[in-house]
Amino acid sequence: MRFLLLLLPLSLFANLNIAVSYPYIGALTKSIGGENVETVVLANGNWDPHFVVPKPSLISKVRNADGLIMNGGQLEIGWLPPLIKKAGNPKTNVNAKTFLNLSNHISMIDKPQSVSRSGGDLHPEGNPHFNLDPNNILILANAIKEYLSTIDSKNSHVYEKNYVIFSDMWKKKIELWNEKMLSKKGVKVVQFHNILAYFNKAYKIENIATIEPLPGIPPSSKHTVDTIELIKKEQPCCILHDVYHSTKTAEFISEKTGIKIVLIPHDIGALESVEDLTSLFDYLTSAIK
Amino acid sequence: MKKQLCLSLVASSFLLADTDIEQLKIEMNKQQLIIEKLQEKIEKLAVAKKFEAPQIETFDQSKFMPDISLILDLSYVSRSKKDDEVAHLEVPGVVHGLLGSHSDGDVTHSTYNASNGFNLNYAELALSSSVDPYFTMDAIFHLSEHGFEIEEAFVTSTALGHGLRVKGGKFLSNFGYLNEKHHHAWSFSDMPLVYESFLGLHAINEIGAQLQWTAPTSTYLMFGAEVLQGENEQMFGNNTIGNTETPITKGSQAPSLFVGYIKSSIDIDDTTILGGLSYANGSSRVDHSQEEAPSAFSGDSSLYGVDLTIKHYFDSYSFLSWQSEWLMRDMDGIEYTLDPADISVVTATANLRKKQAGIYTQLEYGINKNFSAAIRYDTIYKNDVVESGVNMNEPDSLNGYSAMIEYKTSEFAKFRLQYNRNEALYNEDAIKQKIDTIIFQANIAIGAHGAHSF
Repeated sequence: MRFLLLLLPLSLFANLNIAVSYPYIGALTKSIGGENVETVVLANGNWDPHFVVPKPSLISKVRNADGLIMNGGQLEIGWLPPLIKKAGNPKTNVNAKTFLNLSNHISMIDKPQSVSRSGGDLHPEGNPHFNLDPNNILILANAIKEYLSTIDSKNSHVYEKNYVIFSDMWKKKIELWNEKMLSKKGVKVVQFHNILAYFNKAYKIENIATIEPLPGIPPSSKHTVDTIELIKKEQPCCILHDVYHSTKTAEFISEKTGIKIVLIPHDIGALESVEDLTSLFDYLTSAIK
Repeated sequence: MKKQLCLSLVASSFLLADTDIEQLKIEMNKQQLIIEKLQEKIEKLAVAKKFEAPQIETFDQSKFMPDISLILDLSYVSRSKKDDEVAHLEVPGVVHGLLGSHSDGDVTHSTYNASNGFNLNYAELALSSSVDPYFTMDAIFHLSEHGFEIEEAFVTSTALGHGLRVKGGKFLSNFGYLNEKHHHAWSFSDMPLVYESFLGLHAINEIGAQLQWTAPTSTYLMFGAEVLQGENEQMFGNNTIGNTETPITKGSQAPSLFVGYIKSSIDIDDTTILGGLSYANGSSRVDHSQEEAPSAFSGDSSLYGVDLTIKHYFDSYSFLSWQSEWLMRDMDGIEYTLDPADISVVTATANLRKKQAGIYTQLEYGINKNFSAAIRYDTIYKNDVVESGVNMNEPDSLNGYSAMIEYKTSEFAKFRLQYNRNEALYNEDAIKQKIDTIIFQANIAIGAHGAHSF
């Protein structure tokens, strides 16, 4: 280890500058890449991951990157394509070896049987919020390790080592979280948008309703009334609400039913105390009291 | 398979009688292996069966289908003046017939929201796909009741690297801020006065080539140059006017329009500032021979542009945006006055110099995912038209005021109510007209998800 550290100044010239779409990918890439990799995060962690402002400064970030890692599953469809197009960087083109689509490594759930916009703004490939299952984080870490080792093979031993350190730490965390969530099995929840699909599946939590009537379609009064009825019947524990949609409708529902609203982070930076991957899941696994 | 299993189990029970324990163990292991192998076989068969189900056509190419979208733009217009009247009004010294529609030979040109009552502004068909590892291709077709128009059809390089990008084909120039934006990306359902007066409805929309370079700096800095055919009906052109043997004015060498610009942007927290300087220069051959007072212009023209957009985001959906552009044009050449009885006869020639400038500035508040509202001020404040050394004293306070509210049911359907007050148009007796217009616009998209650029 000491020996490696001594070599570092030399390898600084070979630093990889990797652009990533979301903060969680940045943190993961940094864990595996260590000192060899600089990460540039394009999206804010506290805003809607579907709607990222394609600021011109992001064009420069993509233009100057040695590679690009994205979530995929069409989460970036509304903002990343024009940035890639305008950056004119062969290393960030979708067919490049230096481009990684993480969704290719995950078996996605909730894939719609039929795709029509009359069903709202659907993701034809399935629910893209797979980063919220801690077990998936291990798969993604492995995908990023493979990716970094391919594009920077001379440092593959570093990435391998960092991966082992990370996955050992993470597996221990998973055990803790599993233990913590054991008693929450079968608990019913309500959400605004189904961002916790993977988290809920991992811990056998049942999402009984979303406040938006269909994905991407803002709340309607009829649907809100139906949701209130359903809540009265099913007695869910709480509304797990994302940080970027207005909680107005949730507050109305809460008032009518007495159900609690709990703000939940979807990524690093979504809430002030969520500073890294571990605190993201520490928070999520403490959300249901 | 089950039979085999049973038989081997039976066989092993017989063996039990006359062998020692060691042998029995070996035999047991063997049986275990057989069972495992059989299980593997069953699993494999089950998996194979799963994959048999979908019949894939050998020569199916549907996966190579380009992204397709169709955008329909409809409007209902109520204007304080009749269509016939509006078509004859002009922005003096700048443009004839700004609002409404006019015929030019057998082609009917009409602006968006041209007529009182219902308007089908366009059905826009957009196709986009990568060609190979080196290019992408985009095509945008405007289909209207008057015909089929190729709004854009271009190929863009993807593999040059070093921040370089080359585009070739017909495209909207990246001059200024608004020029390259399509109608459905505008904040209002009509074009700013200064743009439409100087450049016409499609602004700089030409066949040619574009080179853009994004600098390797952390601050966004982009340089662009374009070589264009130069066929803008309002300002640029290179065609011979009149008959070819005895032309009124000879055409110039094409391509004849050159555009250059520099753009930069900085972020201050959640506020983004984008600014640009643009320049266009080209030969001008403007043919007004079909109009009531026929004329033709031949010369050289320059267009200068400065644009500034400041956008602050409160959250993912709510923003305040201030967008302004200044345009100045300098047209220098010869004006030919033609005989209305025989438009091949020149009745007078004069040196003509036009120096005109205007601004639009607009403020938009995106309230939430569904609602936004905006106001706009338009002006052409400089209108120096000098004919043979004599200032024509054209009016130079040509203004417009607009306000709109917009409601989106989703990202794909947008409804807008807009009010315009136009104080830039004059009638034939040189009397300023004030025109009020209410526009209800519906803009609906199906197909591929359009991504937004800043």
